[in-house]
Amino acid sequence: MTLEGWVPQINDYTSLREVVDFAFDYRGNTTVVKRDGGEIVGYIFNREADAPDAFIQLFDEQGDGPFTIPYRDIATIKFTGKDTAAGNSWKAWVERKEKERALRAAASGVDRLGRDPGPDGG
Amino acid sequence: MSVPVSQMYTVASYILQQKIRGQKRYPFVLMLEPLFRCNLACAGCGKIQYPAQILKKHLTVEQCLAAVAECGAPIVSIPGGEPLMYPDIDKLVAELVKRRKYIYLCTNAILLKEKLHLFTPSKYLTFSVHMDGLREEHDEAVCRDGVFDEAVEGIKAALQRGFRVTTNTTLFDGASPLRMREFFDEMMDLGVEGMMLSPGYSYSKAPDQEHFLHQTRTNQLFSEMLSKPKRRWKFNQSPLFLRFLMGKKDFECTPWGNPTFNMFGWQRPCYLLQEGYAASFRELMDGTKWENYGKKSGNEKCRDCMVHCGYEATAVDHTFSSLKGFAETVSVALSGKL
Repeated sequence: MTLEGWVPQINDYTSLREVVDFAFDYRGNTTVVKRDGGEIVGYIFNREADAPDAFIQLFDEQGDGPFTIPYRDIATIKFTGKDTAAGNSWKAWVERKEKERALRAAASGVDRLGRDPGPDGG
Repeated sequence: MSVPVSQMYTVASYILQQKIRGQKRYPFVLMLEPLFRCNLACAGCGKIQYPAQILKKHLTVEQCLAAVAECGAPIVSIPGGEPLMYPDIDKLVAELVKRRKYIYLCTNAILLKEKLHLFTPSKYLTFSVHMDGLREEHDEAVCRDGVFDEAVEGIKAALQRGFRVTTNTTLFDGASPLRMREFFDEMMDLGVEGMMLSPGYSYSKAPDQEHFLHQTRTNQLFSEMLSKPKRRWKFNQSPLFLRFLMGKKDFECTPWGNPTFNMFGWQRPCYLLQEGYAASFRELMDGTKWENYGKKSGNEKCRDCMVHCGYEATAVDHTFSSLKGFAETVSVALSGKL
């Protein structure tokens, strides 16, 4: 499951602190919407929720930064960037390898890696 | 054990100095990540999934050296990303050698052969080549065919030119003890100085979430693999850590033993967990709630972790904390029996 595309509304059910935690854990760019209407797009790499003046830190889309934004200035955070941890190239690789292995097993009648008797004592 | 005497002496005297000073928490190995960029996207790795602008960035040599000075650890491990893709890796290594830091340059070795000319052999520099098993297992772990052969070529070239070379291996559920024993033989045949082993850590961002080892399975796998070690196998790590992996020792994590510095700052609390960043090493050490980490803390994220960067420091500290610990380490090292 990915949060890509999520535009949370801060209200009684969803706190800013929770949204910041999700954004901090998100491996993609987000758009930080400020209370003054300004927006900044970037990767949130740090958050200090328990600091006297809680803040987030991010690098913007150009890689400039770090920029520090206090929680009190944030209206919400939109999950606008691609979730870079949600790719499926690895799954494609696994499927291809499984097919290859099945073909080899069918050809030989034995799966070499599947009949390991344990350490031989060397 | 295959660590050179000079390195052992440096580490031992550093630890004894810390103990004499009454330091409760001190770093052992600095994990210095100059970049996150990598030429592989391995199934078990959760380190490189970042947006493009982050993958393009890297630390300056000056930032790296400032972190090394601030931390003070005698060993600097340079993981990443792939450190051979760092444009100033030669300058960084030369500066660290000047500072007499023992360097483990952790590489997948795809670029090793073509970049060797950038380095000079030194007792301070070791190429720690990522090898997750024999050809089939390794290529599968790194999700690309041919990488095992490229790494072997890199290792041979480095050894031929007089460099120190070790391997580092991450094990996941499904690993075959017998195949791993064959792998140890093959690495020894290649002539590497020693091997490092660790179970994988369950990174929440790693593509493959199904094959992380739980504690009992880790004990079983390492016991089967190492219960009758061949005399010729050399491990470049504490024998007590290997005994811990086999379930023969019970250690608690030392999360501050291998602190991590990267472009985001000092990673809290450790190399594996990413819960925020401190602006300075002192802030990391003094401002992290260490009691929230490790098995005893009950932290779900630490429950099955038995990774070297949390427990090798514990094992080394144990060696120097008591005569019993020292005697046990010496006994295992001399007898070769884990």
